[in-house]
Parts: sequence; structure tokens; C-alpha cells
Amino acid sequence: MLASSARSAFAVVPKRPYICQSCIQKTRLPPLASGRSSIRLTRALHAERQLPNDDSPFRKVLKDAAKKKKKDRKGNSDTSNKAQRGESVQLDKWELTVGIEIHAELNTARKLFSSAATSVSEAPNTHVSLFDAAFPGSQPHFQKEALVPALRAALALNCDIQHKSSFDRKHYFYQDQPAGYQITQYYEPFAKDGHITLYPHDFPPGTATQDAPITIGIKQVQMEQDTAKTVQQPPFTNLLDFNRVSHPLIEIITLPQIHDPTTAAVLVRKIQTILKAVNAVTAGMEMGGLRADVNVSIRERHGQSTGRGLSYSGVTGLGQRTEIKNLASIKAVEDAIIAERDRQIGLLESGGVVEGETRGWTLGSRSTKRLRGKEGEIDYRYMPDPDIAPVIVGNDLIQHLRTTLPQLSDETVNMLVDNKNDYSLTSKDASTLLLLDGGERLDYYYDVVEHLRATFSNDTDTQARLGKVAGNWVLMELGGLVKHEEWSASHVSSNELASIIAHVLRKQITGRTAKLLLSMKFEGDERSVEHIIAAENMLLCPLSRHEYEELARNLIEEKQDVIKEIVEKKRYQKLRWFVGQMMARSAEGTVEPDQAEKVLRDLLHLPPM
Amino acid sequence: MSYLAHANRQLENILKHTNLNAVVSLYDRASILSAASVAEQRAPQSAHPRSPYGRIVLVKDNICTTATPTTAASGILKNFKSPYDATVVKQLEAAGALVAGKTNMDEFGMGSYGLNSYHGPTTMSRIKGEERSAGGSSGGSALAVATDQCWAALGTDTGGSVRLPAAYTGVVGFKPSYGLLSRWGVIAYANSLDTVGVLGGDVDCVEGVFDALNVYDPQDPTSLLPSTRSHFGSIRARNSPLRIGIPLDYNISTLDLTVRTAWRQSLQRLQERGHTLHTVRLPATRHALSAYYVLAPAEASSNLAKYDGVRYGNRAEGVDGTPESVLFAKTRGAGFGPEVQRRILLGAFSLSAQAIDNYFIQAQKVRRLVQQDFDSVFKAPNQLVAKSLEENDNGVDVLLCPTAPTLAPFLNDAKRQDPIQAYMNDIFTVPASLAGLPAISVPISVAEEDRDRELKNRDVVESAGMQIIGQYGDDKLVLDVARELVEAASSPDKLA
Repeated sequence: MLASSARSAFAVVPKRPYICQSCIQKTRLPPLASGRSSIRLTRALHAERQLPNDDSPFRKVLKDAAKKKKKDRKGNSDTSNKAQRGESVQLDKWELTVGIEIHAELNTARKLFSSAATSVSEAPNTHVSLFDAAFPGSQPHFQKEALVPALRAALALNCDIQHKSSFDRKHYFYQDQPAGYQITQYYEPFAKDGHITLYPHDFPPGTATQDAPITIGIKQVQMEQDTAKTVQQPPFTNLLDFNRVSHPLIEIITLPQIHDPTTAAVLVRKIQTILKAVNAVTAGMEMGGLRADVNVSIRERHGQSTGRGLSYSGVTGLGQRTEIKNLASIKAVEDAIIAERDRQIGLLESGGVVEGETRGWTLGSRSTKRLRGKEGEIDYRYMPDPDIAPVIVGNDLIQHLRTTLPQLSDETVNMLVDNKNDYSLTSKDASTLLLLDGGERLDYYYDVVEHLRATFSNDTDTQARLGKVAGNWVLMELGGLVKHEEWSASHVSSNELASIIAHVLRKQITGRTAKLLLSMKFEGDERSVEHIIAAENMLLCPLSRHEYEELARNLIEEKQDVIKEIVEKKRYQKLRWFVGQMMARSAEGTVEPDQAEKVLRDLLHLPPM
Repeated sequence: MSYLAHANRQLENILKHTNLNAVVSLYDRASILSAASVAEQRAPQSAHPRSPYGRIVLVKDNICTTATPTTAASGILKNFKSPYDATVVKQLEAAGALVAGKTNMDEFGMGSYGLNSYHGPTTMSRIKGEERSAGGSSGGSALAVATDQCWAALGTDTGGSVRLPAAYTGVVGFKPSYGLLSRWGVIAYANSLDTVGVLGGDVDCVEGVFDALNVYDPQDPTSLLPSTRSHFGSIRARNSPLRIGIPLDYNISTLDLTVRTAWRQSLQRLQERGHTLHTVRLPATRHALSAYYVLAPAEASSNLAKYDGVRYGNRAEGVDGTPESVLFAKTRGAGFGPEVQRRILLGAFSLSAQAIDNYFIQAQKVRRLVQQDFDSVFKAPNQLVAKSLEENDNGVDVLLCPTAPTLAPFLNDAKRQDPIQAYMNDIFTVPASLAGLPAISVPISVAEEDRDRELKNRDVVESAGMQIIGQYGDDKLVLDVARELVEAASSPDKLA
């Protein structure tokens, strides 16, 4: 939030947009034919055209994954699916190896090499310094503030922060690259040798591989600058918006230690979560702030190893790899790896050879597509940038950032699951809470628990149950209500939800009443919880034993045939229907289901519950 | 004479000498003159004679100005007008100088003869019919000073581009230590070597301009911080004897006899004044030129990648780019001259994955050796790299050597040379550039018997450029010695 307010405060150096005015004029002319000119904004990093669209909430992803898994299992057992059998045979023979490069935009007020403000959807070419537009005679001004989120990210990924790092120029020609090179850290990155551990709770249900937890090495993390944005105006015009030039990015490069497509997807998801948790990246990460490239190779498991294996980043004995560039979503990462793995297996099985090449993948397609071969590889001609001094990071800064680093997701999940802390959530609920709404749902949950703990400070038995109960209400009941809306903690304030839950726990209202109360608050009833309970006469005013018995006897009279079946065939679960009827026939909040069932069983001489 | 009278005369000289092609664009004449008369009225009582206050100063065309186009003598920038002024231009104006126009140069600073210009070559013509090179790449600046078209001029020096034309045209040309003068607004050729330099008729005028510009600039990331600057400068008692180094490795077989004689005489004159002479070895010198012609083109190929005609500058006629190529292959092919294209290609090659280890990396190592060579012969330690600040008692205060192996060549001969021959002219200037050292070229009259008869008949005094090189940060000492050398050389010959 600091960032966004600071942004507006910074004056932008050149007010004039440096773009050919006559080009703009041309595109503004009404089209002569009926063809509509449409503007497509490419949000993906680095100009390659792909629309990211993996904004679906994580819970939905989990659900879908679970459903799919279930369906697949059914399919497998019912029919002998030849294709799948074939695949699993192949996977017994071939081992997949994947390394990932992830690019993410750092959360900073200014650009990496100029004092121009970073911006998301401002008018084109309004946040462009002379250097951003590569004007003759202009020079870079490294904004050392960008180090803070970059270092946080690297620390959260368990990296060694390098005392000295430096910037290099990576050359290639493209109209969105105004200087003709991108400034990056090739020879001396600022962070190296990190790792990240994937626990079973990081995986969608049922997908965790047997060997979890798995630790994946991170080779290095480097800082670099973003490019301009191409705004296409079909058929022939490309407009350029230089606002994004030099937005600071980090590139995270993992070691080729991933052997499963799901693991790759989970890793990307986890890195994304960590970066958010330590406030290293912009909130708009779902909107194209993340891009991944993957390196894919396969090798024979029980190899008659020919000894001619290749080595990448010190990992030896690998097969020829290909690179799939510019994957803009988690799903794309997983699907592209599967497609590429299967393509390579197919090639090798049919006696072919995998060629080292760069491939592309578009969302929804079933195979990767060749972009360019080795001979077409760009030689980036890396050169140390003579105008940018090396970055020296002091130990005091590292220490300070380490001690002020927000709690990481693994620690949080462990704390929420551990019953020592009286949260006692399932790991699934814990990681769901953590992922929802960028961590805001978790904050809300903490608030609710805090209120409840204050309320029940003298009641140790109830204390132990608070975490789990609050979790149910925040995730399930309130979660159900906000499903189709954007999350806001102000729909139902945390102390109001705590108050509702407290009433239930004290048996002052029934669960049904509590749900009704919650939805009234959610719909905007401004009266306090206490007030509504009083005004709507919601307090549980329990019936006497005699009243319960009378209610029950009337029902037993009415449905003698059903009762006979229940008693003779021991279909006790059908008593539930009677309980429901007893509740329906009485005033709201007067019948407690447990009590009702107990009375029914007594009258029918059935064993107690 | 008054500021106004000088300004008037020099503006007239600019018009008179258009055939030399030293000046490529001029500010509005009337406003310069009115500024000169205002300067005259407000002139401070005690304006230092070195001060650029009220003086006409011209600026090399690769230094950004808002008043006139900044072309770097390239077709790709032929109509480019910078949206901002370079820091050095602002500093000049703040010091009261009258910045009046832009001078011709080799395209983007690449050339030693002033031939590679979109505006056509600069021609030195001291007598009717003479057509000699004014040197490059700051040839326009040097010639403008030599022909009194201005009081002083700014140039840029990457491998000798200020000193070489100063030597050819007979003026003083100073390249300060790297990082002292701001490069903000100076079009980069090879950033790790580029230095703004000053050309003037005498050492005082050059020092006056240098003093006005020698200030930390936060806009230039390579500008030295005030704290670093405060450590600079050897302390020398006034008129105390100096230890002068003679680098034997500069006495090469291709050194013109006229120049060698002028060198020997210069050394002699200084010895007569009580300074001592010491031969020194700088063995890495013979690799310096090759290293320079690897490093400078490498950086140039990178720095010049931005010229695509998309945001500014010229685009080639017609449609550029195909669906398979970028949008500016044709534009770059048409906009850059042949020497620039040659160096871009050289640089692109030496940075390529297959060649970088053998060329770029090796050249960087040579660069380091060149610097170590210098550090080993100077008395003063190099403040940027030295572990101890102790002086080397056997070291020298400055080095004295020629600026160029020959006097100014005929334009026709220069045109016939192949690129490698042309590169050889930078052999004496490149080492100081690689090490970032301060170096100045001063004109020393050639021996009576070496004078060209035709020029002699027309009273043209030929001179050879003598170069004084100092330790990093010893800029003031270099200027002092230069002043003394000029004085010593112009006093009557004691032996005669």
C-alpha cells in the first residue's frame, strides 16, 4: 500500500509521450471496411504473446483436481484403458527431469534503473524516463530500494545472498526492447544456492508423490528489467507502451531436480505463494506478473547408461533437453511438461532423437510447438554493463531483512496444524486458508479466534476446540456465502462472527439459527448480533421434557409403519427425519436435534445414541 | 579586447571557414552576440583569465543540446534534437560561457581522421590548396580552436579522440581522469573509456574549462563522488624538480623522425629546467592497441543497438522489416556509415559465445596489465586500486611521449589507408584511455630543419603533439607540467 501511494507522489520526468504522433493519428482513423480494430493488451512478460488465465481460486483447483483424480481412478478400474496402461509402462521405463525458470515482478515504487514510477494501467507512455526510452546520452540509475523485495524473496527461498553482484547486458533486437539489450545478472547473480521443500500439504489431495517432502534446489535468483508492452492493432499496426520498461523483475532458476509434472506445478504455486507472503511481488501476479520457462528432458530409468549423458547446472547423466518458453500459468506449466514428456518419449521409442531446441505451448493445446532449433538460438552476447557499479550488500541489511521476514507458508501451516497451538486444523484447511485472498482470509481467521479466546478465557475445554470450530465457520459457512463475491473482511466483521460462534458454543442458539444469523449479517443487516437475537426472538428456549415427549408421540402415531420398520430392521438413521419434523413443527430455536433424538429413542426403547 | 569583440570575430571566422567543415550547426547569431554584450556589461571585476565566462565555446556534436540537433555525425540521427541538455553544457552555461554551436566529428566518435562524418570530412587547410586531416574523432573541435572560431571547444576522448586532433591541428587537448567530467548527455561510444575532453589554444584556457566542469554529477552513475575526489592530487612544492618518465616502449620504428626530434627536444628543455629524466618500461603497451580495438567495438555494438528509428532518429525509406525479422534491419543498414558498421560487427563477434573468451575476456586482462604497468612506474599510488597509499620513491611524476606517430597526414593519404593502418594512429593515446589516466597533448614546434618549406614560406609554424600522462587523479599536475613544457619549449634555445 505504501508503494501505491508513493507511486502517485513521484513526478514523471518527461511529460511528453515519445511515440510517433502520426502513427497514432493513423490508427485513430475510422476503418474503411467493416473490419473492427481491436486492441489486445498483452500482459505477459517479455512480449511473447500469450494470455495468462489461471485466476481460478485455489480451492476450486483443488476440488477439480480431486474430482478428476476420482474419475480417472474409476475409469481405470472399470475399463482396461489401453492408452493409460501404455503410458504407465512408458513412465516405468523413462524418467522425466525438469528445471524451471520463474520470472516475477518485484513490488517497488520505482523502476529498476530510473526514478520513473512503476505503474499498472496508466495512460501509455506517461511513466517513461529518458533512460527507459533509451535516449542518446542517458544513463541508468540503479534504484537500490528494489533490493529490499528482491532480498526478501531470496531469503524466503533459502538462498545465500552474495556480498557482491553485478549487472550484464543481454542483447537481442525487438521493438519492445528500446536499448537493444535487457539488463540482467548473468555472471554474478545476487543470490545463489537456495532450496524449497514441498510437503504433502502443498499438493492437491491425492496427488502428493510418495517421496514427499521433496526438496528442490534453487540455482540462483537474479534481478533484471522488464520490456515495453506491445499493443497490437490488427492488421498492421503495433503500438508501443514504454511504461513497463525497466519494471524490476526477479528470475528464479531451479536445478533440474523435478521428475513429475504435478511437482513442477506445485513448486511454481508454492514459489508464488512464498513471494506473496514476504511481500516481494506485486499483488497483480495473477494478471501476468508471473511467467515460467521449463527445461524438459527424459532418460531411461534402468539405463544401460551409455555414459554419454548431458549435464545441466551440475546435474549429470541427463538426456537432451528442450526449453518451453513463456508459460503464463500453473496449469500451463503442468500441461506443457506432460505434452513435452510424451512427445520426447514417443520420439525415442520410435528410434528418433530429441533435438535441443526452444518450443512453445499455447493454453488448451495438446502438444508443444517448435519455435527455433539450436542453429536459430539467439546468441545474447552477454557483456558486463560498464555504467552500472556492482551491488554490494552488507550483512546488516541481510540480518535486518531476515529478522523482519514475514512468517513463511510452511511455518504457518505447521502452526495451524499443530494442536499445541490449539488451532488443530487439517493441513488441507490450513493451506487453503493461507492461499485464499492473498492471505487476508487467514488474518480474518486469526482475528475470529482471538475474539473467541478472549470470550472463553476461563473455559479450557472450549479453548481447545475454538481453532477448529472457527476454521469451519470461516472456510465453510462464510466461505459458502462469499463464493461468488470478492472477499472482504467487512462483509461480516470478525468480532460479529466470533459472537455468533460463541452463542452456538454456549448453546444459546442452535446451529441453524447461527447460519441464518450469519446470512442476515452477510446480506447487510446492520443490527448487532445480540440485537438481532433479541429482536427476532432467536434464543434457544428449550422445551420441557414433557413437551418433547408430546411432540414425539404425535409423530409416532402418524407414521406407525415407518416406526415399525425402524424398530424391526434397526434402521436407526431414519430417526433423523423425525428429528427434522419435530424441529419444523416447533418455533424457531426451540428444539435441539440431539435432545429430540434422545427423547425419540427413549420412547421407542432403542439403544442410546 | 572585450568579450563582445572576441565573440564577433569568432562568429565571423565560423562563417569564413565553412569550407573547413569544422562546425555543423550554429546557435542563433544575434542571440549569441546579445548574450556576449550582456556578459560584457555584467563582467565581474576580477574575472579570472582562465574562466570561460563570456567566451565562445563550441561543443562536439555527440554532446546533447536542446538548441540545435545532436547528430553524432550519423545519418541515423541526422535530424535528432535532444529533449535535454548534457550536464557539461549546463555547467558551461552556468559558468557564463556562450555555447554557440556544434562541431564536426567522426560518426559516433569512430575514426582518427575526421573522415567518417555524415556531414562530410573536416579539412585542415592552413595555406591555400592544403588539404590535411584535422584528426579524429574530435577533429571539428580541434580545428575550430586552431582557426579561432571559438575560445575553447569540448570534445570526447575514448582512445585519443581529443589528443590526436589536438596534435594534428596544433592546439592543446586534455583528456581528464575517467569519471571526473559528467557523461550525462554524452552519446556513448564505449562507456568504460569515454571521457569528455577540452580543447583550447593554451593550457590556461583548457584548465579554466576543466575547472568549471570538474564537479560530481549524480546523473552520471560513473561520476566520482566528492569524497573520492578529495583524495586526488599529488602534492608538489611549487617549482620543485619533477621526475619525468620516458616510456621506451613508445619509441617505435614507425615513429616519424620529425616527431622523435620534437620529443627529444621537449625532454631536453625540461631537463634544462632542473627536472630529471628516467626511462621506464611499459611492456603491455604493445598489446594495448589490440585490446582497445576489441573492447571499444564490443561496447559500441551494445551501445549502438538502441538506434532503430522507432522512438527517435531516422528510418529508412519505405517498409522495413519482414514477418521474420525485426522492424529495423534496413534502417540500421542505411543509417550507419561503413566504419560504424565495421565496428558493430567486430564487437558483435568478440562478444559472441564462441569468441568472447579469446577476445573480450583476454582484452580485459590486457587492460588490467596496462593499468598495472602504469601503476608500477608512477611515484603516486593509484587511489582507486592501491592497497597502500605509500609513494614509490623510484617512480616518476609524469610520463612524456608523443601523442601521435606522425604529423597531420594529407586527406588523400588518409582516405587510402586501410582501417588497420588508421587504427595504428591511436597507439600512443590508447594506453592512457585503457587505464583511465589524465593525459594532455600540447603543441611543440618542430625543429627548424624539419619544417615544410611551403608552410614555412607562409609563416605557418608546424608542431608535433607531445603527450603528458599522469597517475589517476593527478589532473592538476598534468596541466601544470603541460604549462611548463610549453613555456620551456617556446623560450630561446640555450644551446643554440
